[in-house]
Amino acid sequence: MTGIAVRPAAPDRARIGHWLQRYGVYAGVGLLLVVNTALTPHFLSVENFRTQAVQVAPVLIVALGMALAIGTEGVDLSVGAVMALSASVTALYLGYGLPGALLVVALFAAAVGLANGALVALVGVQPIVATLALMVGGRGLAQVLLPQLEDIRNPAMASLGSGDLLGVPYLILIAAGLVLLVAFAVRRTTFGRQLLAIGDNRTAAQLAGLPVKRVLMVVYVCSALLAAVAGVLATARLQASDPTSLGNLMELSAITAVVVGGTPLSGGQVRIAGTVAGAVLIQLLTATLIKHDLPPSWTQMAQAAVIVLAVYAARGRGRR
Amino acid sequence: MNFTSHRRHPLARPAAAASLALAVALTAAGCAKSEDDADGAAKPSATGADADAGQKVAAPKPGGKGCTLAAYGGDTLDLKGATVGFSQSEKEANPFRIAETRSIKDEAAKRGVKLLTANAQSQFSKQISDVQDLLAKGADVLVIAPLNSDGWEPVLRAAAARKVPIVTIDRQINADPCKDYVSFIASDFVEQGKRAADQMIEATGGKGKVAILLGAAGNNVTTERTKGFKDRIAEKAPELEIVFEQTGDFAREKGQQVTEQLIQSQPGINGVYAENDEMGLGAVGALKGAGKKPGDVKIITIDGTRNAVQGVVDGWIQGVIESNPRFGPLAFRTLDAFTRGEEVPQEIVIEDGAYDADNAEQDLGRAY
Repeated sequence: MTGIAVRPAAPDRARIGHWLQRYGVYAGVGLLLVVNTALTPHFLSVENFRTQAVQVAPVLIVALGMALAIGTEGVDLSVGAVMALSASVTALYLGYGLPGALLVVALFAAAVGLANGALVALVGVQPIVATLALMVGGRGLAQVLLPQLEDIRNPAMASLGSGDLLGVPYLILIAAGLVLLVAFAVRRTTFGRQLLAIGDNRTAAQLAGLPVKRVLMVVYVCSALLAAVAGVLATARLQASDPTSLGNLMELSAITAVVVGGTPLSGGQVRIAGTVAGAVLIQLLTATLIKHDLPPSWTQMAQAAVIVLAVYAARGRGRR
Repeated sequence: MNFTSHRRHPLARPAAAASLALAVALTAAGCAKSEDDADGAAKPSATGADADAGQKVAAPKPGGKGCTLAAYGGDTLDLKGATVGFSQSEKEANPFRIAETRSIKDEAAKRGVKLLTANAQSQFSKQISDVQDLLAKGADVLVIAPLNSDGWEPVLRAAAARKVPIVTIDRQINADPCKDYVSFIASDFVEQGKRAADQMIEATGGKGKVAILLGAAGNNVTTERTKGFKDRIAEKAPELEIVFEQTGDFAREKGQQVTEQLIQSQPGINGVYAENDEMGLGAVGALKGAGKKPGDVKIITIDGTRNAVQGVVDGWIQGVIESNPRFGPLAFRTLDAFTRGEEVPQEIVIEDGAYDADNAEQDLGRAY
């Protein structure tokens, strides 16, 4: 389906749009690296790249799940709430040891994912509405479970948040591992093929006998589990469980990373490498503006500009 | 606890594993809850025993006006048999709001007053209807922690019709004092910023580069704490340069992330002024992560929560300016005097404490 039915009247413009959508995000990352190397003091240092990677890791992990949901022509707005929920649950159950707490976190996340999936796949609610309900309810539940910020003093959590293996922080290793896992699932497994087929044309997939409902359920459970991982990692890094503000607006950051990375909202395609680059682009953009002490409102406007550019680039491909 | 036995077939028997884990979860929820309750029950008595924890009134402003029952309208009332309505603005999810609500409740219990409470959950429209509800339920006097300063006309009119005295705490309502409300009790946020600047000047020796972690944008607390700090630095320590101002949204995570960017691009920074404790604690996390030692970068914060004062004891934070949330005793004393017919000030500014290396350890019990 690549490049079919572009308007013959303006092939160049369509080609530019296509190129921008596909590679624009990498060009953007490259541009920011060049600009920062030239203008930002102490930018080219191992410590700086480690900081940027550690800060982007939770966003990236959430964005992976979001990419799957968007690939099915859906969206998952509940990811920030799942992060908050996993923070609460981690704080409550750490008394049973980290593995025990993680098991309960996974259980809660899976429950949210199943609820999302059931609403979308079985009841037929629009994904944006279904996950909106869980977004509101999930954060509410997180705050009921843990009404206020609580410090976490657990050696295992401390090591998870700030420890490293041969100088590479665990956060980065975990994020990298999940990127490879999700990329493999999308490209090399039946599940990945079915997911893309459903996103491309759900009716056709149904008529072809694909297990549409099951695949959708799995997609939303995966998204919730990935968000829970991000929530635990963010909590470990903060050494505190903060259900009120952890994951706030995370759904928007994740959607931005996915869309800027070239995954169309119309479904049928998932670009994992692009999503990674999209998350890195937003992180570098924010870091650049903060490091140069530009007004915080500029960060938001700059992000908006990037989103508009990404949507503009995707415009040509939307017309089929 | 042994979870490994479930690991072998993680998907083979999901129902059994799930129900078992759920049982564990429910049991644990019970435990966690009771622990929490025990903790919560222990706190008020601890603070209640400490007489210094309540607010003190700062020296009244010269020319400050008073308000009497005669001027406001209404009949005298014995607060003892009265019903007090309390409208809280935000969810009790941060130490300030928790301590504030607890202080009002404790004081009501101490005086044997019937207290009705409502929480607007950060929605102004809900706060308006909360106050209307409190009036409808028969509140004789009102204590309001307003979410906004503006937009109170409909409620004030309803209260004025019934001659219900209103005291607002921690934020002022834009209306006529002694006509629409009796008085307001609050900290002076500009003064807090100035005192934070004094501590920063002392900690850094008045020289070098400092950063500001701003609070949430468009919030009067942010604006005033920034103004006080900058004014005092400009006036007293012109050699102290403010080189960085970024928002941390009053949240720990954002404070940590912004400080990480800061210390990477400006390793020579001498001090960080955080406009609340949470962002200051985030800054501490960033410094620890960057391998700094306590005192390498001076941190000054505002609020006086237990975690921040503990940070002073540990040497990571050099000073904390208190913003005292314990409005209960002062609010009730004001209402009591007013309803008995005495004159009370229209504006009561409270005197906030401060913590530094000299007093943090012994005053830790005063922190909230």
